[in-house]
Amino acid sequence: MITVNGIRNALWCAIAFGIVACASAPMPTDKLAVAKTAVERAEQAQAAQYAQVELTTARNKLAAAQAAADKHDADVAARMADQAEVDAQLAEFTARAKQQEQLVDQMDAGLRDLRNEAQRNSSGAGATTPQPQPQ
Amino acid sequence: MKRLLIGITATSLTALLALSACETAPVDGGLLTDARNAVAHAEADPNVTRYAPTELDRARKLLINAEGAAKDKGATDKVAAHYAYLATQMARISEQRAHEQVAMSRLKEGDSERQNILLQARESEANKARADAALAQNLAQNAQAELARQQAESQRLAAQMEELQASQTSRGIVLTLGDVLFDTGRAELKAGATRPIEQIASFLNEHPERSVQVEGFTDSQGGNEYNLELSQKRADAVAMAIIQRGVAAERVRAMGYGEEFPKASNTNAGSRQLNRRVEIVVSNDGGKIPGRQTTGNP
Repeated sequence: MITVNGIRNALWCAIAFGIVACASAPMPTDKLAVAKTAVERAEQAQAAQYAQVELTTARNKLAAAQAAADKHDADVAARMADQAEVDAQLAEFTARAKQQEQLVDQMDAGLRDLRNEAQRNSSGAGATTPQPQPQ
Repeated sequence: MKRLLIGITATSLTALLALSACETAPVDGGLLTDARNAVAHAEADPNVTRYAPTELDRARKLLINAEGAAKDKGATDKVAAHYAYLATQMARISEQRAHEQVAMSRLKEGDSERQNILLQARESEANKARADAALAQNLAQNAQAELARQQAESQRLAAQMEELQASQTSRGIVLTLGDVLFDTGRAELKAGATRPIEQIASFLNEHPERSVQVEGFTDSQGGNEYNLELSQKRADAVAMAIIQRGVAAERVRAMGYGEEFPKASNTNAGSRQLNRRVEIVVSNDGGKIPGRQTTGNP
């Protein structure tokens, strides 16, 4: 009977702990909101095109955070929301960096063309210089 | 009692399940190692320390949190794993942020580079225009100088020709040397011939582009063949005299025409004297002398 009681007590303890750990803390609604905003920022930065993997991870984490919040699992919701936020930030900055780098590539190509054209014009000067005509 | 126990057990099992759901993704030391590597990688990039110091600092602090949690509760602790994950992502964010800033400053550099190229292009165009203008002026001056030279040249030529009593004909300039050059029936030049021949030679030496044809003529006295031979000998003598004064032989041609192409009727002494002559035809610039039309005796 001692064993049964012991198990019972332990179980009660576990239940109590579970409630304390998962349900008693207030829901991290602000963290969820921050994560949601971060995902939206990433979307606006065209992460869907330039950082698809990172954005998908962020969206999944946000969904997991929301699901945990729905189940009143504040700890998991908070951690998932935090992770969703950094994932979204990474998606945003990766997308921004890639777009800027693309602009640099385009600019370099433009500069190359411009330089070539300038060189052609200066080396082709002889073509437009009046030449003494043979009599 | 047994039913209650089972009920309690079921409830606590649910709680246990809920508890296990609190756990984050696979919790192991790998996440902590990943975080250390990610932070070290970001720290090694000078652009990260320059452009994203805030993010790098946050990554470091998150790593410290992760290390602390791992020390307290073990590297497999979910809090440690969580911070390790955040640290990894933050380190990556710092790198992407640095990439963006590097690209942006490169764009700015490129902009001034573009301005420079355009400026240089405009300068070199202006230089080219200046050079073209100078060249054009130079050409104009040269042309003017050449024109002046040609005018002076033709004046001098005209003066020399006048001195030699030359006349302009369709075949070119023709100098007629009267019968003062030779004694009757002879083909040796007399002393009086020296001066006109020297003048012609010096003219030819000054105008290397020109050549001459020396043409000998007689009156109608004597045999046709004899006259032809005599006129050829006399033309040869004049040509030789010119060549001896430094004119290249290929520029001097000698032709004897005998009685042909008379200037006058041959009916009296005066007209016969006109027909005894040596004509020197001076070529144009090209060095060509049109042939004499064989009209025969009038």
